[in-house]
Amino acid sequence: MAKRQPQATAQSDGAPPAAPVLVVDQLRKSFRKRFTQRVAVLNGASLIVRPGEIVGLVGENGSGKSTLMKIVAGMMHSDSGSVDLSGRLGYCPQVPELWDKLTVREHFQLFAAAYNLEPAVAEERQAALLDELNFGRYLEYLTVNLSGGTRQKLNLALSLLHDPDLLLLDEPYAGFDWETYLRFWEMSEARRDKSMAILIVSHLIGEQSRLSRLYTLKDGRCIES
Amino acid sequence: MHRELTLSRRPALLFAREHLRSALTLALLITLPPIFVIAASAVLSPFATALGGNVAGQQASALGAGWAVAFLAGALGYFQTASSRDADRRLARAGLGAFRTATGRLLSSLVICVLLTLVAATALWLKQPIPHLAHTLLAMLAYAAIYLGIGTAVGAVVTDELAGSLAVVFVFILDVFAGPGMAPPAHGLGQLLTPSRYAGELLLEAGAGTSSSAADWRQAAISVLVALAAALTVFWLSARRRT
Repeated sequence: MAKRQPQATAQSDGAPPAAPVLVVDQLRKSFRKRFTQRVAVLNGASLIVRPGEIVGLVGENGSGKSTLMKIVAGMMHSDSGSVDLSGRLGYCPQVPELWDKLTVREHFQLFAAAYNLEPAVAEERQAALLDELNFGRYLEYLTVNLSGGTRQKLNLALSLLHDPDLLLLDEPYAGFDWETYLRFWEMSEARRDKSMAILIVSHLIGEQSRLSRLYTLKDGRCIES
Repeated sequence: MHRELTLSRRPALLFAREHLRSALTLALLITLPPIFVIAASAVLSPFATALGGNVAGQQASALGAGWAVAFLAGALGYFQTASSRDADRRLARAGLGAFRTATGRLLSSLVICVLLTLVAATALWLKQPIPHLAHTLLAMLAYAAIYLGIGTAVGAVVTDELAGSLAVVFVFILDVFAGPGMAPPAHGLGQLLTPSRYAGELLLEAGAGTSSSAADWRQAAISVLVALAAALTVFWLSARRRT
């Protein structure tokens, strides 16, 4: 089992910790239950993530982990609180949000356009990700014809295409086989070592040893452990 | 604006390609216009008489072709909105932006509307001569644009695909059977039930080989602009972050 990583690589030599790439402060979010009732999901959630960290976020089903990730990713509004991000953001949602009748290659083309990547750079990164995640043979497949695991690989690859500074992973390995799961952690740790900051929603106790720090989301608040 | 259109071109082409890869879409695109043209020429005249209208002959076939375009464009608008919300939002947040994503959706829809119009016009041409070709094509395109707006507006409020499809069909039936040629002219609130009436007027006049008045062109153009603005707004709202 891997050892727990230091809190921030910059601290090991006595230097001050690196400036956070993500600061979430006092986020509140509630959803309408019936016409007049509202259910609070986030109730002042706060966390920070620094470069070179893999930070875990755990909590019971329905505790608000995915809601928090969506707010940080800019997919959803919060009721109050703030999210301060610096650098490029990559977001890998829990459920692959893809277009069924587009091929894997066309997905890369769309996201390369969104990330404003030069064609040559996009091609190079696409090839590297296909190789890393071992799904290059599916390049011309429509995503509707892909297995759940391969869809998840594409989902992850799209979030990494622009080499983000902060990567949000919302249970990114659902459907991965064991070999791909281990490969996923190798990839994540390699990117962490190059100063990428990673915030990952996880349910697996065994993974906690791979994390720099861990937040538990309980009663709408993040508790660091 | 030119820059936005350029940046939206690749998403537009891919969105259009995605839609046209659906076997059901292609089957409907090929079969529905001829069915509407043939069925309209056969049954529309007595039906119109029963409703208080007077469409008949070549005008009925032309109207049938326009209805086919409207029906398919309404379904297109609905599914463009309802089926891709989350993925579009992700793309917008990845850096494309809500407006460019929406413009891409609108451009892709317009490409398909042109295709629908050409297929319907071909079906009509195979059935009968088309005396005013440009007039007919523009009237059909107006039908397509108006129903694109209606389909996207329904898609914005109805997420269930069966319920949404039925809602588009409901609006279509109310509109066309209360529209020009089929029923006496509507006034006041009744006009709201017939959003495609000016496109219908243009098509009936084209089918009869007569020119349309400037007022009809102007009103049809206003209907088209309102519908396209509605479609762009719905696509933009869908691509923005959720509340």
